[in-house]
Amino acid sequence: MRNTTAIMQRELLSLFFSPIGYIVIAGFLLITGVIVLVTESFGPGKPATLRSVFDFTPYVLTIIIPAISMRTISEEYRSGTIETLTTAPVSDMQFVVGKYLAALIFYAIMLSGTLVYLVLMMRFGNPDVGASLAAYFGLLLLGVSFTAFGVFTSSLTHNQIVAWMLGMVPLMLFVWFAASIVGKIEGVPRQLFQQVNILRHLDQFNRGLVSTEGVVFFAATAVLFLFLAVKVVESRRWR
Amino acid sequence: MIEVRNLSKYYGNLCAVNGISFSIKEGEIVGFLGPNGAGKTTTIRILTCFQPATTGSASVAGHDVFTESMAVRAQVGYLPESVPLYQEMRVREYLRFRGKIHGLERTARERAIQRVAERCWITDVINRPIGQLSKGYRQRVGLADSLLHNPRVLILDEPTIGLDPTQIRATRTLIRELAQDHTVLLSSHILPEVEATCKRIIIINQGRIVASGTPTELRQRITGDSELIAEFKGSTEEIAAGLQKLDGVSRVETTMRDGWTRVTVTTQKDVREEIYKLSIEKGWPMRELRRDVATLEDFFVKIVAGARDMDTASVGAGDKR
Ligand SMILES: Nc1ncnc2c1ncn2[C@@H]1O[C@H](COP(=O)(O)OP(=O)(O)O)[C@@H](O)[C@H]1O
Ligand SMILES: [Mg+2]
Repeated sequence: MRNTTAIMQRELLSLFFSPIGYIVIAGFLLITGVIVLVTESFGPGKPATLRSVFDFTPYVLTIIIPAISMRTISEEYRSGTIETLTTAPVSDMQFVVGKYLAALIFYAIMLSGTLVYLVLMMRFGNPDVGASLAAYFGLLLLGVSFTAFGVFTSSLTHNQIVAWMLGMVPLMLFVWFAASIVGKIEGVPRQLFQQVNILRHLDQFNRGLVSTEGVVFFAATAVLFLFLAVKVVESRRWR
Repeated sequence: MIEVRNLSKYYGNLCAVNGISFSIKEGEIVGFLGPNGAGKTTTIRILTCFQPATTGSASVAGHDVFTESMAVRAQVGYLPESVPLYQEMRVREYLRFRGKIHGLERTARERAIQRVAERCWITDVINRPIGQLSKGYRQRVGLADSLLHNPRVLILDEPTIGLDPTQIRATRTLIRELAQDHTVLLSSHILPEVEATCKRIIIINQGRIVASGTPTELRQRITGDSELIAEFKGSTEEIAAGLQKLDGVSRVETTMRDGWTRVTVTTQKDVREEIYKLSIEKGWPMRELRRDVATLEDFFVKIVAGARDMDTASVGAGDKR
């Protein structure tokens, strides 16, 4: 546990001291701000809801989250610090989990920046705070899952940009085109696809429902990809 | 303290380390010498649990590097060849982080940082970002890191590479000091380096151990054929013929130098006394007589060159037992 915490703290420090950290946070807040403006969420006569922000954010996160996690492990390979780290008494699991937690905390901090919109909305109208919090919980769970996937792709290469692409492209395929894929397939493949349909799970939270199915889905995918990342880190030693 | 048995490592078809065995006792300081690509880093990475061996076994401080890797890692201080560091961290932050993952509690950690910073002369840069430090300072930060948890075994891969001569001398002195409290294995491709710091040398080439022993032992092995140099005044032919007759002399070469005859005598024995007597007997004035002691450098070059074009196993006895 102490090792995991130490690695997490160190990674957070690097994230906050790298230009990428600031670019990612600024980019995310800018895009969500623009979403608030163009959807006219604060317009007079509109229902006081952040629904449009919650609907659009997952699309943005397919790009943003892999950018947060891309450096976690790949940078250790590139700089060679993997050698001092894995020859210290730290297990591969502590290493991967520490990296993961750092990226996740960074994501949570970034996400909490958008709470400003909720606070503003509470001053202008009377938003459904409970539903908004459920939606935030959904986005947090999305981060739990996406970040694990991003850490996994980061474990595959020593190049951050490659890690970003490897993380972003599958996530985009899943999120951006999920609806049209579901519309084109039928039968068992359709049912299977619905199980891994991220937007369907997220939609429940956006409607103010905290669904167990959703929690299990995001948590299970996170565990799966963290497990794979540990295996990849282990296997690199064999080369 | 370090036991290596028939260790081999293949990268695909390339055999980087080919069945080496050696052992290092507690408190020893041993130099691991070999040209670039000999397999030093590969061996060291196996000993520090960074990579597994293909075959064979190794143990450090009584623990097997493969099955008891955590115990080994806790006992070893390792300075990798490339001295990898987190550029964006300050020296103190970095050492704190390293102290934490070595399980040092706060007070012990701060004390350890103080101790290694003084020992490695980095107190003046302790609050600077690592990315701004010169190569010499970075090397010392890496060394300080490897000493932080007071390990029983220190493994240093080419610790003076890239340093300037003053820094090299300071680092060598430091390593010799460290050898009083730690068992040290130090790799290098520069012979004077290991000769200056180590009590024992293991020479590796093309993944095999080609010789090992103390510097004196290794030197004795080459004195088989040494060269004597002398200068006389007299008839060159007579001098050459006279020296050729001495017992043990295999070759005599002469050159003229401002009226003096300079001879280079290749011999199995030290025949300086006989040469002196001969010069008295024949009445040749003599202005120089010395034995050109073969250096370890010659030996190293010879062994490495020899191993390249003949069967490596026949060149030196190695550490076979
Ligand atoms: N990761 C690797 N993959 C493939 N070949 C390698 C790898 N590391 C080292 N080698 C090869 O193994 C041999 C020994 O390398 P190394 O142990 O680094 O030698 P040294 O440290 O003595 O210079 C070299 O021929 C080198 O090219
Ligand atoms: Mg090397």
